[in-house]
Order: sequence, then structure tokens, then C-alpha cells
Amino acid sequence: MASFKGISIKNLTKSFKNADGGKNTIFENVTFELNSGAILRLSGASGSGKTTFMNVMSGLIKPDSGSVFFGNTDITSLSEGEKDRFRAENIGYIFQTFNLLSPFSVIENVYAPLAFAGKLPANYKDKALDSLDKVGMKDFAAKKPYHLSVGQKQRVAAARVLFADPPLVFADEPTASLDRNSSELVKNTLLELNKKGTTLVLTSHDTIFDDIKPDIDFNLETGVLS
Amino acid sequence: MKYTFILKAVFHSISHRKLSVFTSIFAISAAFAFLAAIGCVSFGLAATAVNSSLAFPLIVGPAGASDTTLVMSTLFNTDKPAGTLDYEVAEKLAGDERVSAVFPIARSDSYMGIPITGVESSYINEIARGFSEIDNDIESHDILGENGKKCAVVGAKTAARYEMKVGDTFFGSHGSVGDEDAHMHDFEYKVCAVMKAVNGPEDFAIFTNLRSVWEIHEHGHHHHHEEAEDKEHEHEHASEGKITAVLVKTKNPVFTAALEREYSENGFTSATDTGRTVRKLLTYMNKAEKAAGFFSYGTLFLVMVMVFVTIMTSINERKREMALMRTLGIGKLPISLMIFLELFFISVFGIALGTLGGHAVLAIFKPVIDFELGINLEPFFFTEIEFRGTVYTLIAGVVLSLAAMLKIYRMNLVEEIAKD
Repeated sequence: MASFKGISIKNLTKSFKNADGGKNTIFENVTFELNSGAILRLSGASGSGKTTFMNVMSGLIKPDSGSVFFGNTDITSLSEGEKDRFRAENIGYIFQTFNLLSPFSVIENVYAPLAFAGKLPANYKDKALDSLDKVGMKDFAAKKPYHLSVGQKQRVAAARVLFADPPLVFADEPTASLDRNSSELVKNTLLELNKKGTTLVLTSHDTIFDDIKPDIDFNLETGVLS
Repeated sequence: MKYTFILKAVFHSISHRKLSVFTSIFAISAAFAFLAAIGCVSFGLAATAVNSSLAFPLIVGPAGASDTTLVMSTLFNTDKPAGTLDYEVAEKLAGDERVSAVFPIARSDSYMGIPITGVESSYINEIARGFSEIDNDIESHDILGENGKKCAVVGAKTAARYEMKVGDTFFGSHGSVGDEDAHMHDFEYKVCAVMKAVNGPEDFAIFTNLRSVWEIHEHGHHHHHEEAEDKEHEHEHASEGKITAVLVKTKNPVFTAALEREYSENGFTSATDTGRTVRKLLTYMNKAEKAAGFFSYGTLFLVMVMVFVTIMTSINERKREMALMRTLGIGKLPISLMIFLELFFISVFGIALGTLGGHAVLAIFKPVIDFELGINLEPFFFTEIEFRGTVYTLIAGVVLSLAAMLKIYRMNLVEEIAKD
């Protein structure tokens, strides 16, 4: 696993234009620091900007102003190509929906990001199968995503994160529309990674995560950091 | 490994969209199969025409016959003769010091639509490259001599098509190919030799003794009068001492030109320089081939546009997928490269499949095509028209692939993910 010494967010502001031409500020001048291996929970009602904050943090969309440092690297100042490489090497994602690439098999979905980056480890197929085994999806390794249920897809996305073992994981409503067993599997995967030192950024309305105490809770609705 | 995986991803993507990819490849293949057919058939026609024109530089026929009729009715057996002329013309030409050989011919009956041409042994010796079968009683150098009366020498492809063997007999229809009043009569021919293939129109012909033709004519004439005395005999066939044309070998091209002029201006005959007339025919054929080629290229262009539109539509459908790839750290370049290769491979598959398939179909149907068109088709000959088609399609494929690649490269794919 690559590593960096924490995340530093400085004066981060993002707004969108309204349909009437006005400005809708999602968050403004947000500043905080997150240690390596910590958990950041983004909370707030639907539409409050949790996913937008996550996307700005990971460099998927640009902020209006401010910066996001991963160690000494300011992701907001990187070029598109550098951001791609940074994400491939440092960030794992589990989305609420649409996690898998449909042309690829389950096992290929697990190792695709590192394969495209040209950074596959030795015995990558065995390692990918191990990751799938941990989320109970080993028997589905050769299947295509359209054969899987939503819950199974989420578990494969969790296996992908396990395989890449990134220093930072973004989990955006990772257990939404999952049954209890699948939710437990995804939650345990995230906690296992966190125990090994992975920094976790999480949004979820699922009560299954209520027993997890985040290092920072940022409520996008109120703008309160706690 | 990275590029191996990109290639793997391209093939996954292609196999994932089977229907649209199959449709695209099939459309390109069909256009290329058509190009292969145009190319091979026109090449076969041209090669046959050129081979034939080299053998007999001058053709002399009855007065009023056009250059094309003289060539088509003698060398290619595809047109009716324009009339008859006296055998003495052949004898006069044979005595001309500018002439090295003459071959009088007379069209007579037909069998299954194939004209039966009366010739002398020298003609058979001139065109034949040996016999695959020959009657033991007849010496090969004089196959249509005195002993060869009513004997038929059959071209290789005619023999193959109608399973004709030495000793077989058949009845000819009186009247030429296309005659409405052609009718069977009791003049029996016996196959006395089957020629080896000469890769020319002679392979599709049946030859008999010139004297046999004269005899048939007399017989047919009486027969005709017995049945319908008041009906005028309308066939243009050679009666005793009459022939339909003379194929002439001259000693050099200057003599060919001089003889052509003399025999065209005497009022009794017409003559044509075979090489010049065949070149004219080839020019028309080339024009027809070019027209067909342009039509094919136009079709190919439309097919490529269709493939491009299909790919662009699939890009819009795959925006989310590509956005996910970007999120996972897969760069713009590999994603654009994937789209480029996808379109490029579809073009290449289409070309390869169409070319191979087209030629394979030509090879399968070669016997039928050969016989119907009277040519010797080379089914696996890669013609210029196909080469051009391949180059144009590859250029179009690369340009359209680059356009698709550029579109992907310029797209802000990550915003797709951010839309949630």
C-alpha cells in the first residue's frame, strides 16, 4: 500500500449555478486535517452535497477555490493525467450504484484499475481470487456483471478495493439497497482496510455504520465539523 | 501488460456488443465481397479477351459485320455471325505472302446453347494444349480430317459441365444461340476428343469438321423444306463452300493493318484488327468496372458512416462506464485508444472477412461463373479495385476512429459520475 501523511483540506469552496442563473453554494471555506488511517464521515440529508464533497476531494470535479493536499500533493493542482495516475495508485471507490465495467468479468473488474495503470502485482489472479473470496464472490469470478445482483456488485467493488489496498477509500452509500448480509460484508471489508491503515471517507444513511465512531464528522447540511 | 490489457478490453467490448458489431462487420464484409466479385470477374474477362486477341491478329468476315460482331461471334462465341462468305476468301488469304496461317470457321448447330463451330484440323492444332481424352482411331494431328467427319472436339469446361466423354453422342439444335426457331434434328455428333483447358473461350466451345457443317446445312435445308416448303430458310449458316469468318495470323502488325484495310474496302468482306477491337472492348469494360467500383466505394463510405454512427451512439450509451473507468484511475488516453482500436478492428475484421469470404464464394461458384460468363475466373486473385477499397476503407476507418477518439478525449467524463 502506498501512503501519504494525512489529508489537508484548505478553504475548500464549491458552488453550482442554478437554473435561474443564481449561485447555489454547496460548501464554503471548509478547512480541516485528517490523519492517515482516520475515518471521515460525511453526513447530511440527501442533496446536501456529500457526494459533491467526495468528488472534489478525490479530484473528480474542481472546486471553485481551495486545495486538497494528500501529503504534499495538492490534487486540485494536478493535470488530468496526473489525477488519473494518482487515483489509480491511491484511491479506491465503492459507489452506491454502477460500480462495475460491464464488458469485463468479475475477476477482471477486480484487477482492471491496476492492469490499466500497468501496476499489476505478481500472482495477481490469485490475489484477486483471495479478495473475491473474502467477500464471498469467488465462485462468481468468471461471471459478467449483468449476471450479478446489486448486492453482489457492491461486494465485487469491495473486493476491488481489497485487491488494490489503497491508502484512501471513498465509500458513497456503499450499503444502500443491500440486504443485511451483504451490508455486513461490505462494512467488514471497509473496517478491515481501515485497521490496516487505510483512510476512509464514508457517506451512509445505513444504521449499520452507527457503531463506527468517525475521527471527523462533517455535516454538509449544517456545515458543522465535529 | 498495460497495452495487452487495453487490447483485451477492446475485444471484451467488441464481444459485449455482438449485435451492433456483427451488423457493422457484416456490412463492411458484404461491400468487400462485392468488390472481390467485381475485381475477379472483370479481371477474368479481360485476361480471356487479351489471350484470345493475341492468337489471331486479324478476323475477316462477311461484308457489313461490325468489328465487335466479328470478335464476339468468333473468339468469344457470344454473338451470332453477321452472314457468310466464300471459302475462297480463306484460300486467297492463305496464298497471301503477308499471312502465316488462316483458320476458316463456320458456325452451325448448337448443343445446350453452346455453338458448334466448324473448323479445320489446323485450328484445333493451333489452340489445343493437348487432349485429356482422345479417340484411339483418330490421330491427334488430324483430328478433324477425313476420318473425323461428324466428330466433335469438346472444350474442357463444356465436357466437365455436361459430363461428355469420348464415344458419347449428342444431337445438335439447328440454329444458333438465341435463335427462337432453333430446332433439334437427327444429325448426330460423336465426341472424339476432349481438349485440355486452355483458359480461354475455347474451353466452353464444341468444334466439328468444317465439312460436317456443310453437310448438316444441306441436310437441314432439305429437312426444313420437307416440313414447311413455303417458309424461307432464315438461318445464317454456312452452306457448301461457305464459311462465317476467317481467323488470320499475319507475319507482322503492319501487314495486319494493311490487310484489314484491303478486306474492309473490297465490298465483299469486312475485317478487323483483333487487338484494337479487344482493346476497345476492354476500355468499355474498364469503364463499367470503374462505375461499379465507384458504386462500391460509395457503398463502403456509407457503411463506414453507419459503423461510425453506431460507435458514436454506443459511446453515448457507455459514457457512464467510461466515467467509471476515469474514476478508477484509467486515463483519457487508454480509454480513447480503446475506442479507436474498437472501430479500427471492426474495419479490419470487415475487410478481412469480406475479402476472404468474397473470394471463397467465388471459388465455390467458379464452375458456374466460368460457364455462364465464358471466362476463366481466378477466384483468389486480389485485384486493384480491392486494393483501393482496402486502402480507402482503412483510411476512412482511421479518420473516423480518430474522430471518435477525439470526442472521447474531449469529453468531461468524470462529470458523469459527479451527476449522481
